Amino acid sequence: MTLVEWVKDAVLRLARVPADPHVPEGAEESVRVFNAGRNYFTWRMILWGLGNAATALGLAAAFAVSFIPTLPSLVRAIWLAVEAGAVGLFVASIPITYFLQRLNYEMRWYIVTDRSLRIRSGVVWLQEITMTFANIQEIRVNANPIERLLGLANVDVRSAGGGDTAHGEASSGHVGKFAGVDNAEAIRDLLVERLRVYRDSGLGERTIEAPEPLSLSAAREVLQETKALRNSLATY
Amino acid sequence: MNPPQIGMSAAPIPPHIVAIERPRESLMTYYVLKAIAANVAFPFVFPYLYFRYHTMRYRFDTDGIHMKWGIIFRREVLLNYSRIQDIHLRSNLIERWLGLARIEIQTASGSASANMTLEGMEDPEGMRDFLYSRMRGTREEKAGGAADPVAAVLLEIAGELRGIRALVERPRA
Repeated sequence: MTLVEWVKDAVLRLARVPADPHVPEGAEESVRVFNAGRNYFTWRMILWGLGNAATALGLAAAFAVSFIPTLPSLVRAIWLAVEAGAVGLFVASIPITYFLQRLNYEMRWYIVTDRSLRIRSGVVWLQEITMTFANIQEIRVNANPIERLLGLANVDVRSAGGGDTAHGEASSGHVGKFAGVDNAEAIRDLLVERLRVYRDSGLGERTIEAPEPLSLSAAREVLQETKALRNSLATY
Repeated sequence: MNPPQIGMSAAPIPPHIVAIERPRESLMTYYVLKAIAANVAFPFVFPYLYFRYHTMRYRFDTDGIHMKWGIIFRREVLLNYSRIQDIHLRSNLIERWLGLARIEIQTASGSASANMTLEGMEDPEGMRDFLYSRMRGTREEKAGGAADPVAAVLLEIAGELRGIRALVERPRA
């Protein structure tokens, strides 16, 4: 066991992160498990790097303030002490946040069965969303320019209900996100394929799934019997 | 003939779920920590959470969930299992240490936040699975089914025809 694995194990135990998610209801052979694309970690790292760069810039600006010549020496001393503390915290946080980013990338499951999907993500803030295809209203694929360069896209699956902002960016509820996948088209096609069975509005009616009403097959049986009867009467 | 098929909501609720009325005690611990984390807002947050915990009542029946809480502003939420749109199971580090998780239930009403949040369940994952099993679209539900009266009559006619044919084809004495 490498050191990284050992730390990972310890963190997961300490944070009481449950093991892999259970597969939701659905035919066993239909289960497909997707994960975030390899480049998703690169994308996370870009965001993480930008955030850290912004913090570092702020700290540098605060440090520059201490060079103002008119500053009383006591104020300068306090300023510098606070600055040193902030820099220390910042430096200490870098490996921790890096590790959490890495775990966040690894601990992602997008599970699709023929009836439902379950998306689990997060390490410190864990969330697991479960939806049935019967309730899904809309599928959206989006990617920003950098994500496209990295060959990534996000597939958003929405159920009925409001809560969007004007830009169509949903907040927490009503949406399952396949974040940072590198096979968005395949996932989209799979979801569309599995949605095809449902012809209702997905708002609480009983699901209509039988491709042919039972009365029709019963009528066919009557027809068949009648024909057979005629045949045997013909040879009578 | 099979008895008419009724919707899944008529299936009995497991007794350990019917028995749930109150959130578990560790929820109060969590609320205390949450109030402390609210810092200067503690004097406002703590009483709210205190009374929320102590007045929180759940009821799970065959059709749905009732949840009520509040002392000054009384709140009661009723929700049908079949109208559940999606279920979120969320927890942060502190909650997991206390063995807690929030089950956020969404319906198709127009709010972005959860329509009902079940807190302090004894077995959050088990509860989630139970609710999920009551959601529509989870299991096969054929329209009509054996309850279709036209199909039943037609099958009976087919049976009669089969009988006539058997009589016709019977070797004559």
